[in-house]
Amino acid sequence: MLKNTFLYDQNSVRLLVEGLPDTSLGQSEDAVGIISSWKLELIGKADLEGKREHLEAMMIQVLPYARYLISGVKRPFGDQQSTVSISSEGNQHKLTLRSSRPGVEPMAVFIDDAELTDLVRCLDQLRYDSRVPISWNLTSDNPLKRNEIVNRVPIAQRIFAPLIGGTTFFLVASIATFFSLQTTVEFKDNDTNSGKTHLNN
Amino acid sequence: MENLASSSIENKSDIICAKQIILGRRALERLDLLFLAVESLDFNGSEAMLITCEKLGLQNYFPNRVELWKRRCHNPLRRTTRRGQLSSTDSQALIVLLCSMAERIYPLLRQLLSSREPENINSQRWQLLEQRLGELINERMNPRRGGVQRLLNPAIKQIICKDLVLSLALASGPGGVERMCASLLDPTP
Repeated sequence: MLKNTFLYDQNSVRLLVEGLPDTSLGQSEDAVGIISSWKLELIGKADLEGKREHLEAMMIQVLPYARYLISGVKRPFGDQQSTVSISSEGNQHKLTLRSSRPGVEPMAVFIDDAELTDLVRCLDQLRYDSRVPISWNLTSDNPLKRNEIVNRVPIAQRIFAPLIGGTTFFLVASIATFFSLQTTVEFKDNDTNSGKTHLNN
Repeated sequence: MENLASSSIENKSDIICAKQIILGRRALERLDLLFLAVESLDFNGSEAMLITCEKLGLQNYFPNRVELWKRRCHNPLRRTTRRGQLSSTDSQALIVLLCSMAERIYPLLRQLLSSREPENINSQRWQLLEQRLGELINERMNPRRGGVQRLLNPAIKQIICKDLVLSLALASGPGGVERMCASLLDPTP
């Protein structure tokens, strides 16, 4: 059986996927159902290689990161234990890869926005390629929750409306209380005066 | 070895499905602003939109320039705004069209986002984009609205432009429509 190789090329990123069709699932000979190896080439950076699990780990972290980024939220994905993690560092994005072999230091790759979009497009091409009928363990893109996007708005802008509302309410309440008290006092005064008048008579 | 070319523009009218997508006020503003950003980058943008509509098989939704303009006028910040909600199918058709336009201008978007480009040339490109976008906003939006004044504020114009360009770049490609759709359905903070 011949090994199939697919190339996903996007300006500064090139993803090479090699594998075999899963004949037990009735896949055609030109498909890749079992990924044997992959190689990611980033221009000017070290080449990344690995097994299917590593590629899937990258897709699991990078694609949701892009989903959040399109909404203007720079949320890091992955932690110290994750095979792949991605976070925002100034104007760049830090892609950290951790080897499963003991004693191997994690490798950090810094990519700019253009390289990130290239990488996302390459991963998307693989994900939606009908010749690679693999069910990736990926979540679908959903709208974010309100608390997730609230940090996107500057604190001054977030506080401005409630502050103005609160101040206006306080002022109106104070003025209303002041006038109502004054009216009560005047009423009592009138009452006292009338009382006095009554007594005088 | 097979080279998979970047996803070509093909008939995508089948993407418009039964899934209900009702865009809110902010989403309509953002969608129209993204279209304006496309027009700022591509001087022939409005013409290209009609050609892309034909290629995508979206003529049923936008048979001519006026129909496309009418859908975009649901943006409440427009000078001539239309009341009422944009239907789910029209919203989806607009999103598909936007993502295809982003795909078309991806090389330009990439050029702007790249840190490898010469700094002085790239800053001139950004200035041109900001200027053109400002002109289009002035021409089509109601300048008395606070939202429009915010868009034209020189202090944050650059941030807005960067956000629009990055959003368009991430909206291109095979997964772009789904990403953009989810983004437009985000709740208002």
